[in-house]
Amino acid sequence: MSGNLRMRVFLVVLLVGSAAYMLRDTISYYTMDETQREALIESGEMDEMRKNIIHQGLDLQGGMHVVLEVDLEELIKTRVEDSDAEIDALISNSLDEAQNNESEFFPTFAKNVNATNIRLARYFPIYEKGPNSDVMDALEADAKDAVDRAEEIIRNRVDQFGVSEPTIQRQGAWRIVVELAGISNQAQARELIQATALLEFVLVHEDPQLLDEVIRNIDKAWAADMGEEISEDSTDIVAEADTTVDETPSLADVLSGDEGDSLSITGTGDVGRPFSSLINVGSNTIWVPEENVRSIKRKLEKPAIAAAVSSDSKLAWGVSPRDITGDGRMHRALYLMKGTAELTGDVVTDARESLGGFSGAEFVVHLSMNDEGSREWTKITAGNVGKRIAIVMDGNVHMAGVIRDKIADGRTQIEGMNDLQDAKKLAVVLRAGALPAPMVIEEERTIGASLGADSVAAGTQATVFGFILVVIFMAIYYKGAGLVADIALVLNLGFTLAVLSTLNATLTLPGIAGLILTVGMAVDANVLIFERIREELRNAKTVKKSIDDGFNRALTTIVDANLTTILAAGVLWQFGSGTVKGFATTLFWGILCSMVTAIFITRTIFMVMTERKTMTKLSI
Amino acid sequence: MFELIKNVNIDFLSKRKLAGMISGAVILAGLVSIVLHGGPLYSIDFEGGTEIQVLFTESTSVESVREALSDIGYGDAAIRSFGNEDEFLIHVKTSTKSEEQVNTIREALASIHGGSYEIRRLETVGPKIGKELKGDMISAVLIAMAGIVIYISIRFQFMYAIGALVALTHDVLITLGLFSLLNMEISLSVLAAFLFIVGYSLNDTIVVFDRVRENAKEKRHDGFLSVINLSLNQTLNRTVITSLTTLTVVLILLFFGGEVIKPFAFALTVGLVVGTYSSIFVASPVVLAWDENQKKKKNS
Repeated sequence: MSGNLRMRVFLVVLLVGSAAYMLRDTISYYTMDETQREALIESGEMDEMRKNIIHQGLDLQGGMHVVLEVDLEELIKTRVEDSDAEIDALISNSLDEAQNNESEFFPTFAKNVNATNIRLARYFPIYEKGPNSDVMDALEADAKDAVDRAEEIIRNRVDQFGVSEPTIQRQGAWRIVVELAGISNQAQARELIQATALLEFVLVHEDPQLLDEVIRNIDKAWAADMGEEISEDSTDIVAEADTTVDETPSLADVLSGDEGDSLSITGTGDVGRPFSSLINVGSNTIWVPEENVRSIKRKLEKPAIAAAVSSDSKLAWGVSPRDITGDGRMHRALYLMKGTAELTGDVVTDARESLGGFSGAEFVVHLSMNDEGSREWTKITAGNVGKRIAIVMDGNVHMAGVIRDKIADGRTQIEGMNDLQDAKKLAVVLRAGALPAPMVIEEERTIGASLGADSVAAGTQATVFGFILVVIFMAIYYKGAGLVADIALVLNLGFTLAVLSTLNATLTLPGIAGLILTVGMAVDANVLIFERIREELRNAKTVKKSIDDGFNRALTTIVDANLTTILAAGVLWQFGSGTVKGFATTLFWGILCSMVTAIFITRTIFMVMTERKTMTKLSI
Repeated sequence: MFELIKNVNIDFLSKRKLAGMISGAVILAGLVSIVLHGGPLYSIDFEGGTEIQVLFTESTSVESVREALSDIGYGDAAIRSFGNEDEFLIHVKTSTKSEEQVNTIREALASIHGGSYEIRRLETVGPKIGKELKGDMISAVLIAMAGIVIYISIRFQFMYAIGALVALTHDVLITLGLFSLLNMEISLSVLAAFLFIVGYSLNDTIVVFDRVRENAKEKRHDGFLSVINLSLNQTLNRTVITSLTTLTVVLILLFFGGEVIKPFAFALTVGLVVGTYSSIFVASPVVLAWDENQKKKKNS
């Protein structure tokens, strides 16, 4: 074997090997059964695995794709006071005009306002008085804020959808796209997306003994629950708890050095204390290592275990993970709070991020409340100085700040944010509890799981069937060379899937069609080459020369012809949405891979075949 | 050697007038249909509206579904049964906010046979998003075409780009017309199929052009017409084989790919056949005509 050929063979082996490696997670993910899947979810390995697999699109696994748009009509209506026919007509005409001309509402509204001599400040007393342009700016900012609030509300609720990978994305200034895979209760999901948020101010229990008692009660309930489970089928939860604890020995030292008070670290991992062996306790708060959050959440949802917390208290999760140990390990806080809220968010009139604090350069949030709220707030703060009060939206704790002093005028400064982004987020959360964020569903695509499963079955069947037919055809028509092309075809499909796995791509139904199409089209390059080789053979050239010339001459044609299809696929990808994008992705990579397999790999096989002896006949 | 077509020497270009007439007639019929229908028939993706595929646990009839929908003012809803008497596709045009529309339809469905049903697929698109999508996709097709013309102009010559562009427009027009004639809707996925057709038809055309370019270099004295004819014959085997394999898989998709993908697979099938035809009978004759025209201009 010449050095050049040896290099080629090595490269082919390398390509096939890496493709197989890239495919490993996808293959094991789709071949494992439910219990194996559960085990991987519990251990947290699933998240890692899901980064390297081909995902099923919403149209295949069933799910919901919802596009929400801010309901300007509703929003503006709630902002107008003392409305009359003139302002009503102005608003509704502008809305209609914007819709019909496919233009933005606010420029249209501004144009129409300027055509009259209406004074907007009269109708919008909630904004600062000023010229029309100021009021319109305030209104636009208000509408944009509504989208921010809605997005924050949805993000906050993500857990409640019960889906593994929800996506929430902004589309332009006025829209939010929510994708929920494998949703079982469509109506409930729709409500969750749109319902207004419940914001509460809840006192955190600052009683180490109470916290201890609750943890012990949960331990007991959990152990009892586990006993039942073990008697049912022997899972290895005990062993799991053991290993997790072994990894967290240094936490106590770091935390106590930092905070210095009321630390009790638990965790010997014995069967009798399954809960406390998974957690750490510091500053009257339970800290759960990120990898244990999922399993603990599940357990705490079980009624038998939830009952371990007495009815005048409740446990609530903090939303953002924190690196409390300073070693890069993230922990989520689990607060033991009072069972009832001190105050609800509808008393909030505004919340804004800004700079302030002791140094004047800290990121803070200024919170203001209405008169009624302020009176209550004064009482609450006066009676609980030194204690923490949690800002809770829909059951999730966004912040638990220590009350420093009695706050008499309802104007509160919240400190302790890391950056402006944090402060902004908290301000949005606080506003979301008070101000409505009216959104309408502009687009919804829901596919039931049963239809998705049907599509998968039909699509897979069509792919396999088409693939086999093409393989048989090539073998009959081109005989030996056809078999080489068939090898290339198999590799092409494998390579395409490998690339899609690595890209973490989503396979949709049109995507499967794209895959089938590439199978059909991938033979094209081989057909071009083989036809050319036949022509050269007819011109009485030697086998080796015919093969060389055939490949060389077909090469430019193959590149030219395939690049145009790739170009079309690229444009589709750029402009297409959802399922169409899936089609473009598979087509793009499929054709690219087919060029590699047809040009490089088949040629290498031919080179190996003709290398040893001088061939006089070629099976083609 | 097993060959589909042996030693052929078909004078394709002599049939170019006949082919032109056939293509013209089909395109005209399609265009007339489109005009009579008042434009292409767009699906809810572009027009806005709601489409619900519903499966009842007990079998019912189109009439009772229609009755229930009439009660809430959707008497003009299109209702199609899926073979059996328990699964239906309901198509409602948009009028109010799509959200309210969906809710009222759900209530109406619940009134049929005690309301035991499963929504297998629900798609609702507001008129605003539909309009935007339409604009986006039309510009996608146009940009793809423009990119292709530029690419071919660089790799070949401008006249080849014109030939390819005419062939592409021909393919898309025929498929569009056929959809209108058959009363089939243009949805997002059908438009994606159109873009695929653009890519595929071009693939075919370029293979021929490539050969024309090669032969034109070697056999200048033969005249352009015979060069093109020779090239078409030389590539005929490849054209037929590739089209057959691709057509095979597309047909399998059409018949076994399931209900959801049918319109998409249909567009692919039509486009494939038309695309193969156009690369032989449209693209090359256009290049020839352009070439002859240029020569005439030079001589005069």
